[in-house]
Amino acid sequence: MTRISNNNKSRQGQVRALVLTGYGLNCDYETDYSLRLAGAQSRRAHINEIIARAKKGLSDYHILVFGGGFSWADDHGAGVLMATKLRHQLGDQIKQFIEDGRLVIGICNGFQCLVNMGLLPGFDNVYEERRVALTFNDSGNFIDAWVKLRVNQNSHCIFTKGIKTMDLPVRHGEGKIVADDDTISALFSNNQVAMQYADESGDQANGAWPFNPNGSIKDIAGICDKSGRIFGLMPHPEAFNHYTNHPGWTRKKEELRRQGKTIETEQGEGIRIFKNAVDYIRATVMEI
Amino acid sequence: MASRLEIRLKKELVDAEGAGVRRKAREYFGFEVEDVRVIRVLTFDTDLGPDQLERVRVEIFTNPVTEESSFSPITSFFDWLIWIGFLPGVRDTQGSTAKEAIEDLLGIRIGPEQGLYTSKIYEFRGNLAFEQVNNIAAALLANDIIQQWRIFSNKDWNKDQGIGFPIPKVILNHKPQVSTIPIKSDEELKKISLERNLALQDRDIPVIREYFSRQDVLAARKEVGLDLPTDVELEYISQARSDHCNHNTFRGRFRYHDLATGHREEVNNLFKTCIEAPTLKIKEEKDWVKSVLWDNAGVGKFDDDHYYVITGETHNSPSNMEAYGGAITGIVGIYRDPMGTGKGSRLILGMYGYCVGPRDYDGELRPHLHPRRLLDGIIEGVKDGGNKSGIPTPFGLLVFDEGYLGKCLVFVTAMGIMPAMIAGEPSYEKTTSPGDLIIMSGGRVGKDGIHGVTASSEVYSEHTPAGHVQIGDPYTQKKMHDFLLEARDEGLITFITDNGGGGLSSSIGESSRFSNGCLVHLDKVPLKYDGLDQWEIWISESQERMTIAIRPENLDRFMALSEKHAVESTVIGQYNDSGYLRLDYEGRTCAYIRMDLLESDFPQWEFDAQWIPPHLRGLTEPVITEPENYGALLNEILSRPNICSRNWIARQYDHEVQGGSVIKPLVGIRCDIPSDAAVSRPVLGSNRGIAFSQAIIPFYSTIDTYNMTAATIDEAVRKILAVGGDPGHIGGVDNFCWPTIEYHPTKNPDGKFKAAQLVRSNWALRDYCLAYGIPLLSGKDSMYIDGNLEGPYGERRKVSGLPTLLFTACGVIDDISKCITMDAKFPGDLVYILGETKNELGGGEYYHMMGYTGLNVPAVNAQGLLPQYRALHKAISEGLVSSCHSVARGGLAVHLSMVAMAGELGMEIDLGKVPAVEGLTSTQLLYSETCGRFIITVAPENRKSFEDILAGASPGLIGVVKEKKELTVSDSHGRTIIREEVSTLKASWKRSFGDLI
Repeated sequence: MTRISNNNKSRQGQVRALVLTGYGLNCDYETDYSLRLAGAQSRRAHINEIIARAKKGLSDYHILVFGGGFSWADDHGAGVLMATKLRHQLGDQIKQFIEDGRLVIGICNGFQCLVNMGLLPGFDNVYEERRVALTFNDSGNFIDAWVKLRVNQNSHCIFTKGIKTMDLPVRHGEGKIVADDDTISALFSNNQVAMQYADESGDQANGAWPFNPNGSIKDIAGICDKSGRIFGLMPHPEAFNHYTNHPGWTRKKEELRRQGKTIETEQGEGIRIFKNAVDYIRATVMEI
Repeated sequence: MASRLEIRLKKELVDAEGAGVRRKAREYFGFEVEDVRVIRVLTFDTDLGPDQLERVRVEIFTNPVTEESSFSPITSFFDWLIWIGFLPGVRDTQGSTAKEAIEDLLGIRIGPEQGLYTSKIYEFRGNLAFEQVNNIAAALLANDIIQQWRIFSNKDWNKDQGIGFPIPKVILNHKPQVSTIPIKSDEELKKISLERNLALQDRDIPVIREYFSRQDVLAARKEVGLDLPTDVELEYISQARSDHCNHNTFRGRFRYHDLATGHREEVNNLFKTCIEAPTLKIKEEKDWVKSVLWDNAGVGKFDDDHYYVITGETHNSPSNMEAYGGAITGIVGIYRDPMGTGKGSRLILGMYGYCVGPRDYDGELRPHLHPRRLLDGIIEGVKDGGNKSGIPTPFGLLVFDEGYLGKCLVFVTAMGIMPAMIAGEPSYEKTTSPGDLIIMSGGRVGKDGIHGVTASSEVYSEHTPAGHVQIGDPYTQKKMHDFLLEARDEGLITFITDNGGGGLSSSIGESSRFSNGCLVHLDKVPLKYDGLDQWEIWISESQERMTIAIRPENLDRFMALSEKHAVESTVIGQYNDSGYLRLDYEGRTCAYIRMDLLESDFPQWEFDAQWIPPHLRGLTEPVITEPENYGALLNEILSRPNICSRNWIARQYDHEVQGGSVIKPLVGIRCDIPSDAAVSRPVLGSNRGIAFSQAIIPFYSTIDTYNMTAATIDEAVRKILAVGGDPGHIGGVDNFCWPTIEYHPTKNPDGKFKAAQLVRSNWALRDYCLAYGIPLLSGKDSMYIDGNLEGPYGERRKVSGLPTLLFTACGVIDDISKCITMDAKFPGDLVYILGETKNELGGGEYYHMMGYTGLNVPAVNAQGLLPQYRALHKAISEGLVSSCHSVARGGLAVHLSMVAMAGELGMEIDLGKVPAVEGLTSTQLLYSETCGRFIITVAPENRKSFEDILAGASPGLIGVVKEKKELTVSDSHGRTIIREEVSTLKASWKRSFGDLI
């Protein structure tokens, strides 16, 4: 059921990722860098460039990344204006992209955009209904903090495969997940809740601050659609691209030194999220 | 027709903003408010039809999950309503993005005569009197210099009309015109300068008159239809000659007189002798110094392929009037300097330094904004400015002192990075050539910032723009930043500079010196609204604009990129080699000035500087006995405003964006203790890093500004070393903020002393930069940090800030894996002190706590310290150091606590082992602020190697890290004088501001 264009066949073996830029988005350099570390051939491109060649669609790419930032300054709701623009200018192409079995990830502002476009939660494969909102943190302010995340082992999420817990930074003012009770139950019963905020031991945070940094319902940090191919999360995996990004790295390094060991890999753990995506594309889309 | 959309959160959802207002009403005023809910208002002054309005309501402006909205009043049960909207002409960024989104969705253009305006309604429930509600509006929610508000009680509420249809549209009804200025006599020109707010320097007036009377000048002017000078021309000269643009104070002549010794010395030009000369000397010695002293920022080498860029400045007066607007304009403004350095750099980080009055000030003076509110606004301004620019803000400082009640200080510092070469040329080089097009990119021009604060005394009407106060717009600037980098990388940019102080007059005036002339068509400059006079277009300080030179053949490509990035760019003129700066408006010339005028001999500013040494000013050491309760004293000093935790600030600043965070602003096992310095990896994929830090110790100025400056520089250097920085590669940025130094017998009777303080500070800057080999990559001076505050009897009292220097140090780290943090890491590690402690508590935190200043201000022996610094760097580079922390304000007691609190481990310390001069008391050992010292922990197995490397520096082994989380300190007789749980210390340290978010 997955299709790829002839054009893609000629460049077989290359997993191609697109990181959107422009209109106040940021995080594009490190997201692009992280994807390349994960083995993808990644490209940063301005939203208007993609719209200008909309006829061509998104078929050149396998992974579409809605990265972090402040699109349209977060005015009128984080991710809202970007979602409106993309829904109207690229809605069909994105739908096609999803139908083609490719991957979409939204990080922070990108996640906010995905829920406002309705790509998430995407119940019943309807990818245009706004059922979930990301609203102001309970603290009323922006927060930069590292959090511990636990991954739902039953989720189909492609991006979190093989991961149990992970430390990542959150950096947002509007990261609290809100939805009506039915939506929340459906998210859980469908195993669409891919990631939750956890305490130091890896157990669910149960709303306790600072483990749950924004008051998100049921500590939800990231959700996917039913297929697991569309994933949105508030924490920033691209900001853990190197071991020195972790706040505890100097301690860890000294601890290892005393055990006569050294850091195993310079790559940060956040790269695993992108590597899962690259591996999936290699194993599925590329095989056909 | 006007429509008004009101949007609110659904009732069942927490209104975090409203809860914040409620909390502040209680904290600030003691008002108990039951509930506050916020309603967003969008007023449409457009010709959209009902269907279109409904469509944008549903599809753009209402989130179906969280919000409800209506074109009718949506207020519900309330006791009071406060409506707050902008005054005309104040930047309403949300109004602009709303317009952009509507145009995009409906596929229409909304004409310039139409507009969208945002405002807010706060719904209050609770038993409040009108005065209380008005107080909340005036002193918490709104600032009358940018906003207007109305209060409605439940009783007088008309639920059909609601708040009405507020449309703060600017209507000037003015036909732009150029006027000429008679120059018959110096007195006449002086008088007109005063009347018209031209701010010409009295000293400059004869030079200006002489120029406009020259026969050759008159003849040349006649050819372009000009005779007497125009207002455009005099405004231009005034801007170019201002202290801000020309640094007249630092380039002045100081007659220094030491009243104690009788020594007299004439100091000609502090800038040349104390900043330029040492920096050029160091540049000769260090090939990593690439470009200094001429561009918007300095340039150093990061690696063979990249150069870094750094600069810093202040935004004091505007922040003092409108804290949020001033601060966001400041941080967004400083970001344009690296963007406009060389051919343009990418921003990689920002830093901040705030100096304000005590947060809990309850004295009798009435500053325009209470320090608490001022600080809240400043913090928020830098938050939005930094975060929305996608630039990390990983370091900053905060100082409280009553002297800053007169005027707060807001320091902003920025760093960028650029490729070493662009289109085959070094990236730090740029020039304009005849034929290059002059392009203005970014925002449009309005009455913003014209004549600064003087405009605030003008009489307002409903549609008068409140343009003198600006609100920076990081969104517009971020788009421009991305665009310009792409244009740069395609080799399209030959010259770029920002429009800051002086606007186009400054950016074009300076850039046309390279080509030696220009012709600008002022009527081509895109305006926010009609009716600006020519001189206003020329000097307006409207933000988010860059001036760029490109070759004509690159115009199409440049414009295509600009359009792709949704950035407005306009060709407004051309550089030439005519020798003249010429401005035309609709075909007529309104300014024609020889390029060499500003290079002519304008008179130098002159100052009398009289120094009285501290002991002759009556300063002595205080008489204080040893305390009985050392532990209580330590807990108390930890909770003092200038020592305690201010984590709430760092936490709301994104310090991880761009993915290169190596050492964060807050470190330790709980990420809650401030790091000495931060480290970033600006080139992902490279293991090189940049360490950066700042220091500010204005309290020492009360004793001697020479020592203040030396100690400040040394502290910034120590902090860089503490994370692993290399003493061989440290660049500096000096940011001076000084009270007025011009003597006036009644208005500034101590001006001569303040002038001497400035001279002494500069001498120290010169001496220590030379000693440490620190080139001053950039720097700025901001004078006049005084305010006249209203007292309880209607009198006004002058309050001057402490002479203040913020010193920024930065250095390249060859291998970030060698970096270390300041937290104690493992029980059993040895605790060392590097550096000898002296009796230097003068101006320090301990004396302040006891109500004294003292006399023995720390002195820095740079020649003695430098070998120790090099040895420490070697030990850190070889991985022998487990943690390292520089000892700063509060001395050993405070900073040993920091190391223990960061690691949440205990320490057992023997004061008898602290390297020190003879005869110090325990209190002196604990609280002296002697420079040059570090607290270092070392794994026992590294003891010998560490001590071998540091042998020349004789570090003192003063104790050991303990599993038991307790700080114990024994005196030189072995008596335990402090035994405190680390958690108790931390609680004390977090007590003052721990609840702030």
